[in-house]
Amino acid sequence: MATTGSTAKRTPVDSFVWALGTIVVVVYALVPIVWLVSLSLKPADKLNDGKFFSGSPTMENYRTIFKDPQFKHALVNSIGIALIATVLAVVLAMFAAYAIVRLEFPGKKLVLSGALAIAMFPPVAIIGPLFNMWRALHLFDTWAGLIIPYMTFTLPLAIWTLSAFFREIPWDLDKAARVDGATPFQAFRQVIAPLAAPGVFTSAILVFIFAWNDFLFAASLTSTNRARTVPAAIAFFTGSSQFDFPAGSIAAASVVVTIPIIVMVLIFQRRIVAGLTSGAVKG
Amino acid sequence: MSEIVLDKLTKRYGDGYEAVKGADFTVADGEFFILVGPSGCGKSTLLNMIVGLEDITSGELRVDDEVINDVDPKDRNMAMVFQSYAIYPHMTVRDNIAFPLKIKKVPKEEIAKRVDEAAELLELTEHLDRKPVHLSGGQRQRVAMGRAIVREPAAFLMDEPLSNLDAKLRVQMRTVLARLQQRLGTTTVYVTHDQTEAMTLGDRVAVMRRGEVQQVGTPKELYNDPANLFVAGFIGSPAMNLLPAELDGGTVKLPMVDVELPADIRERIGDRASGRHLIAGIRPEHFEDAALVGDPDAPGVTFKAPIDVIEWMGAELYVHFTVEGSAHEELRELAEDLETVGLGPTDEAQIVARLDIHSEAKEGQDTELWLDTRKVLLFDADSGENLTREAAAPATADGS
Ligand SMILES: Nc1ncnc2c1ncn2[C@@H]1O[C@H](COP(=O)(O)OP(=O)(O)OP(=O)(O)O)[C@@H](O)[C@H]1O
Ligand SMILES: [Mg+2]
Repeated sequence: MATTGSTAKRTPVDSFVWALGTIVVVVYALVPIVWLVSLSLKPADKLNDGKFFSGSPTMENYRTIFKDPQFKHALVNSIGIALIATVLAVVLAMFAAYAIVRLEFPGKKLVLSGALAIAMFPPVAIIGPLFNMWRALHLFDTWAGLIIPYMTFTLPLAIWTLSAFFREIPWDLDKAARVDGATPFQAFRQVIAPLAAPGVFTSAILVFIFAWNDFLFAASLTSTNRARTVPAAIAFFTGSSQFDFPAGSIAAASVVVTIPIIVMVLIFQRRIVAGLTSGAVKG
Repeated sequence: MSEIVLDKLTKRYGDGYEAVKGADFTVADGEFFILVGPSGCGKSTLLNMIVGLEDITSGELRVDDEVINDVDPKDRNMAMVFQSYAIYPHMTVRDNIAFPLKIKKVPKEEIAKRVDEAAELLELTEHLDRKPVHLSGGQRQRVAMGRAIVREPAAFLMDEPLSNLDAKLRVQMRTVLARLQQRLGTTTVYVTHDQTEAMTLGDRVAVMRRGEVQQVGTPKELYNDPANLFVAGFIGSPAMNLLPAELDGGTVKLPMVDVELPADIRERIGDRASGRHLIAGIRPEHFEDAALVGDPDAPGVTFKAPIDVIEWMGAELYVHFTVEGSAHEELRELAEDLETVGLGPTDEAQIVARLDIHSEAKEGQDTELWLDTRKVLLFDADSGENLTREAAAPATADGS
């Protein structure tokens, strides 16, 4: 019969179109990744054979990149910088979002729209001045030199996501806990924090991905192994000769940097359960 | 177990709005005390002041002679049931009920024992290990109750705990609540905007309007001897009929009939009514079908009423009719406050009368009705004061 809503029964034609659409999207999204993986497993002489599976897969490329001290340093830098930036941004954003949701203060709208304005600001526009400033302040090529811009550019996003989540928390629970004998801190720790956790994890993932993937700041504000992160380091890979493009190593490195992101999303997606707060109130 | 004294409590919010104005009464130890009034009259605000969630702007709040204005809510040892229940969604029913005890660091075995007792009392035993999401409205409501009663608090404070339930469950839970309170004997302050709930549950009731306490008394006192027009109109269902009236000597001129007042009522009014606009209040049950008046000696008058609607309720019969008479300004304001449907055209008054079930009244026909003249109340239309009031002091709130 006529299908008016998404809940209505699908006709065979509908199902076919849906299945086709799904396949197209999945293939479109996965082919580059499969290709990357296959490339990273190819021996150097078969890199350009144009085949997906050329037989005799080898871990040679992975061995190469992990033998390269530059890559190991970059991996440590990436993990350290991204984690610290994430923690700082999320903690600061939590305070800001809490104030925005719970308190009335002059300039509240200004803070929110200011945050949005910063989020829309093109990072490339400040790279030049930042480069000079960082050199003057001795922040060039240090962890802090990257953590600060990452934090700044992700804070607005984190504040917006967190205040959206915080708005959903039934704040009567906070009052209930206080009446039940809890101190303000106990109420936060035992009642509000568990309910806010999904929002915190969501924004943490977003911030982490931004910091982890960033190339622009990493390439412009670092010069050595001290602070260079993986995306920037990959650009500095060299092949066995000057004219040899290190496609295999780049592919292997790309696969390696993708893994932490996948692991993080897999771990935290179980925590990001929508509707965790349902059941607190009738509705 | 404690007595709560509200000594001229006032609450002014940050924006300058006075939500509670000089609330002044005492809740006796072990009493089931009700705060009732239309939406926005400051009931929740007053309750939150008692429990410590809102600051007190001025006045004193005493529990057992100790001023607790500035005591933190956690140290007041009062348990609150919220309108939204405010159950912790990430905890099981057991953990929810145990929460206040865990915070107080009560020993584990003691907690288990008290939670089990509370659960049994509220018939929640089989749901103890479930999460609130899967519970029905009534069950959630009982979890919220459970969290309050495990603590053995000094007082229960409840903010419209039944208003989210459907009608049938509400009546059921009302009985459960009344029994529970009787059994525990804990001082209880209960907020509702439903006058039926107030009348059936309360030992005493405080009626509030626009931040002011209008009258404090037992349900009977409020019903039979309201302090003013507002209380008269608010308490009772169907509501008291309010009509414009004129007093001429000992005779009250109502739109449909002149009524000779009995001597004692005339005495009570004295000369306070002279030169004032008056409003007469008559409860539906003080009318009767003239043919069916039980007591022939009862003083009354009869008149013809053009019945337009009849509601047969099985055990009782309500007839509606309209009389002419301009509604006073005060009546219209009152209707707004009481959230009634309105008084209809301004030069008419709708009257409801409850008749004996054997009445022969028919829709669209004139019927001879009888009115008990002893039960006519007269109000000053401007101040709202009940001029026929029995209680000696015509104060708006009677202290304790
Ligand atoms: N935080 C606040 N700031 C300013 N005014 C407030 C605040 N909270 C409540 N009010 C005002 O105080 C008045 C009383 O509010 P309150 O919540 O006590 O009403 P209520 O009697 O509980 O009504 P309801 O039956 O609808 O719950 C209302 O007019 C409301 O607008
Ligand atoms: Mg309220």
